[in-house]
Amino acid sequence: MTTKGILLFAFNNSEIDYVKQAIYCAKKTKEHLKLPVALVTDNMSYLETSYPFYKKYIDIVILVPVEETGQLKTFSDGAYSLRKLPWKNHNRSDCYEMSPFDETIVLDVDYITCNDVLLNCFKIDEEFLIYKNPTDIVSTVRNIDSFDRISDRSIDMWWATGFYFKKSPFMKMYFELVMHIKENWTYYRLIYQIPNVNYRNDFSFSIAIHILRGFQVSSWPSTMPGKMYMSIDVDILDSINGNTLTIIADYKNSADYAGVSVEGLNVHVMNKFSLSRAIDKDKEFAHE
Amino acid sequence: MSNSNGFCLLAQNNSNVDYVRQAYALAVSIHKFNKGQSISLITDDPVLEEYKSVFDNILPIPWTDQAKDTEWKIENRWKVYHVSPYEHTIVMDVDMLVLHDITRWWDELEKKDLFFVSNVKNYRNETVTSRFYRKTFDENNLPNLYSGFYYFKKCDKALEFFKLLELIMINWELFYSTFASNRYQSWGSFDLSCSIASKIFDNVLEITDPTSCITFTHMKAHCQGWNEIPTNWTNVLGTYITTDNTMLIGNYLQHNILHYVEPEFLTDRVIKQLELL
Repeated sequence: MTTKGILLFAFNNSEIDYVKQAIYCAKKTKEHLKLPVALVTDNMSYLETSYPFYKKYIDIVILVPVEETGQLKTFSDGAYSLRKLPWKNHNRSDCYEMSPFDETIVLDVDYITCNDVLLNCFKIDEEFLIYKNPTDIVSTVRNIDSFDRISDRSIDMWWATGFYFKKSPFMKMYFELVMHIKENWTYYRLIYQIPNVNYRNDFSFSIAIHILRGFQVSSWPSTMPGKMYMSIDVDILDSINGNTLTIIADYKNSADYAGVSVEGLNVHVMNKFSLSRAIDKDKEFAHE
Repeated sequence: MSNSNGFCLLAQNNSNVDYVRQAYALAVSIHKFNKGQSISLITDDPVLEEYKSVFDNILPIPWTDQAKDTEWKIENRWKVYHVSPYEHTIVMDVDMLVLHDITRWWDELEKKDLFFVSNVKNYRNETVTSRFYRKTFDENNLPNLYSGFYYFKKCDKALEFFKLLELIMINWELFYSTFASNRYQSWGSFDLSCSIASKIFDNVLEITDPTSCITFTHMKAHCQGWNEIPTNWTNVLGTYITTDNTMLIGNYLQHNILHYVEPEFLTDRVIKQLELL
């Protein structure tokens, strides 16, 4: 019998408590998918002291040293707040070796699961599924074409925010290629015309996919079941009530805000600060 | 495949571009991937000795040189039908390279009297949807023909087409003002002239098929699906020819026929790599 589970990564920086978000993500995921959750993190004592109830949602903790890359990333909290903070999200390429499961769904901790559609990953006869073309929560009016490709003149963008893999020689090779791209990031960044110097999982995953597709568009890989809805970082997540997310959305990308409420959808919340505040407001979670 | 088929390439150098050199590179690429093909070069320009071996015939441009005073050199293109020594002819713009075996296309083409490409691809192998270069076609409801690659059979229907094309190209202002008056194009072009000829004959369904696999990659900048349009694509995309006979542009594998458009693309290095394949 193959083992199935969810794998999350959380490495805090000075302002964002990714561990808290990971536990919340695990709570929502467990509620809908009823699968064991493994958390990759670097600080056991923080986990135990700050969230003593974590074992309700996290089944396995995998301790690894964080890769100190010295990279900074600009984080938005709405249209008017920008902060540059350390970016510690380089371990994703290790997920093949780290995952304790035969079949794994890897999710960003800012991915809020509100339905069970991801269970279909285990019913599709594929070794690898990954998100492509996210759906904007206000997609009818906001242009998110820039998310179609890793840059204007480069290749298709695939989202490492959520992917499924089955352990196999092919997937081992895929993740080794991702690792190789990470280790030679400056070279690949230039070859693939990525203006930002920071390493980004979405980009290395996309480049590896492009290479394994034979440098052309093909039907591989298939996309994750269901849609990944996305709230971009200039939006502000106000609250999460059960399966309803209330978001103050910059619906024209010009600091014009309007309220949006979505129910029963899986949403990638890119504004980490507002996600953190919304988690704190979730009464159920606050009383753990 | 008929015994009497071949490629005709028309090349007339202008003050900036050595089109004979481009025709040589195209012929090299055809031979590399398509065994046993006949290629005729139609030119009045001198042809270097080292270029001659890739052509079966080097034929003069007949009658007077109607492009003598122009830079774009399209005025003689209607003559190819009359010059071609083949029963079945593929005509290609010389700023193209053939990157795969396309000999199977002959079987499809020989079923027709005349065939023009009517959908083109970009370097990502996506069908080009931009109408940036086709506004005159759209506003006058003209067939969307691309003459970068076309085929004809020596037959009455094709002869009639090219006779009319001659008339259109010689009197392009008159025909454009009659059949393409909206967003009037103030210069003669072979694509637009062919399209008007097709409109007059009402034969678009016979001479093209937008779903055909016979197509080419068009490297004009606005065709590439970019948000920021550069002056030259050759300034913004890398080109790599690998030792296993593949060409990558902007990290995308290139298929079948590349219409590179910009002469800067065809460096001596690219020609050398083609010769070595």
